[in-house]
Amino acid sequence: MDVVWHNIPYLLIGAVTTLKISLIAVTFGIILGLFAGMGRLSSNKLVRFLATCYVDFFRGTPLLVQILIVYFGLPQLYGQGQTFLFIHFGVGHAVTTTQISDFLAAIIAFSLNSGAYVGEIFRAGIQSIEKGQREAALSLGMTPSQSMRYVILPQAFRRVVPPLGNEFIAMLKDTALLTVIGVEELLRKGEILNSNYFKPFQIFLSVAFIYLIMTLTFSRFVDYTERRLGVHDHN
Amino acid sequence: MTIIKVRGLHKSFGHLEVLRGIDLDVAEGEKLVIIGPSGSGKSTLLRCLNQLEEATAGSIEFDGTELTARKTDLPKVREHIGMVFQSFNLFPHKNATENITIALLKVKGMEKHEAERRALALLDKVGLSDKAGSYPQELSGGQQQRVAIARALAMQPRVMLFDEPTSALDPEMVGEVLEVMRGLTREGMTLIFVTHEMKFAQEVGDRVIFMDEGLIVEEDIPSQIFTNPTNARTRSFLSRVMK
Repeated sequence: MDVVWHNIPYLLIGAVTTLKISLIAVTFGIILGLFAGMGRLSSNKLVRFLATCYVDFFRGTPLLVQILIVYFGLPQLYGQGQTFLFIHFGVGHAVTTTQISDFLAAIIAFSLNSGAYVGEIFRAGIQSIEKGQREAALSLGMTPSQSMRYVILPQAFRRVVPPLGNEFIAMLKDTALLTVIGVEELLRKGEILNSNYFKPFQIFLSVAFIYLIMTLTFSRFVDYTERRLGVHDHN
Repeated sequence: MTIIKVRGLHKSFGHLEVLRGIDLDVAEGEKLVIIGPSGSGKSTLLRCLNQLEEATAGSIEFDGTELTARKTDLPKVREHIGMVFQSFNLFPHKNATENITIALLKVKGMEKHEAERRALALLDKVGLSDKAGSYPQELSGGQQQRVAIARALAMQPRVMLFDEPTSALDPEMVGEVLEVMRGLTREGMTLIFVTHEMKFAQEVGDRVIFMDEGLIVEEDIPSQIFTNPTNARTRSFLSRVMK
């Protein structure tokens, strides 16, 4: 066990990266999700179609594939676009190799992915608010967007706290996938340790425990928030 | 002066035709009561008057504005048409005062302290000044409905629509809500009630409309319609609901 004890700080550096990616991605995910969720409920057919495509794609394909597309695919696309512009329009310069930082790729992939799930959570939350709430708001002279903002969303937000918490915890665990593109998050740190010491059981079990501590902490926090928000909403 | 003018109003939900050609004039200041069996279209008619239900065909004019026209600013019009719902529809995340002030703040752009002053005055008017900070789920049904009435009144509408305001209440709470509404009838506002409270209808109505199967079957002053209805369907309905 000495191997593990001596290297706890090293693993914790990875855990911080894991947390950083999760928190940043869930923040963007909530913003994207708000648009996706409202888009799915829009009366505009095109908006609804685009939002549905977005949600379907990111929920219907493996996250690992999405990570690879962002990390390897986007730079290629960018390079080819630049080259195309240079050859045909003389703009910019021809690009032979481009790269995207693994951290940025992680943020992009996880934000897009979680936006799709969060979008569905928001959609369900908005739809769970009784029709009469919107009608009461409209009858007072509110516009549809005012009724959304002041009446529907504040109530929907309270209801989506538990599923949002679950989504965050799921995402935090999924960041382990980022080892494939070399992001030095918690699992990757464990792998590096293991290649030095070859004590897979001790090392990966420690990694698992660190994940467990993080997920349990967050699920307790979600429970607490839920109880606090629940005080004035029993209907 | 006519404030609401309805002509040839039709409303369908899919294949179900709920309103089948309604003509109606409501005079400013009139207390109009709409009665009829369930499914007769009376709530739908009321909900068309502020366009919570979009008309399938026909026209609805409010104070000279055609509500079914595309370019009509419905939110603006609805500021002048208050509505009280069967299920109260108070905002559960807001306390009684906030339920009343939210539209004053967000729609009318009123100052917070002024809105709160108006809210407290209205809560006093409906007999709930001690419940200003209570949340809807801490109030009884009757109290919730009284807050809902205060909320609608806060916008100082020219017309108030009551959609079966006492139907969801326990019997012992009906009286307090009727009392508040009775108080309103002594003011100059135009009031339209859809209700099953026949005694109340008789007492406060300037005119009673009986609807059946999506049409206005009979209309008259209360003393006439309740004691001497001319239409057979009105007679049979009243004999069932009046004990």
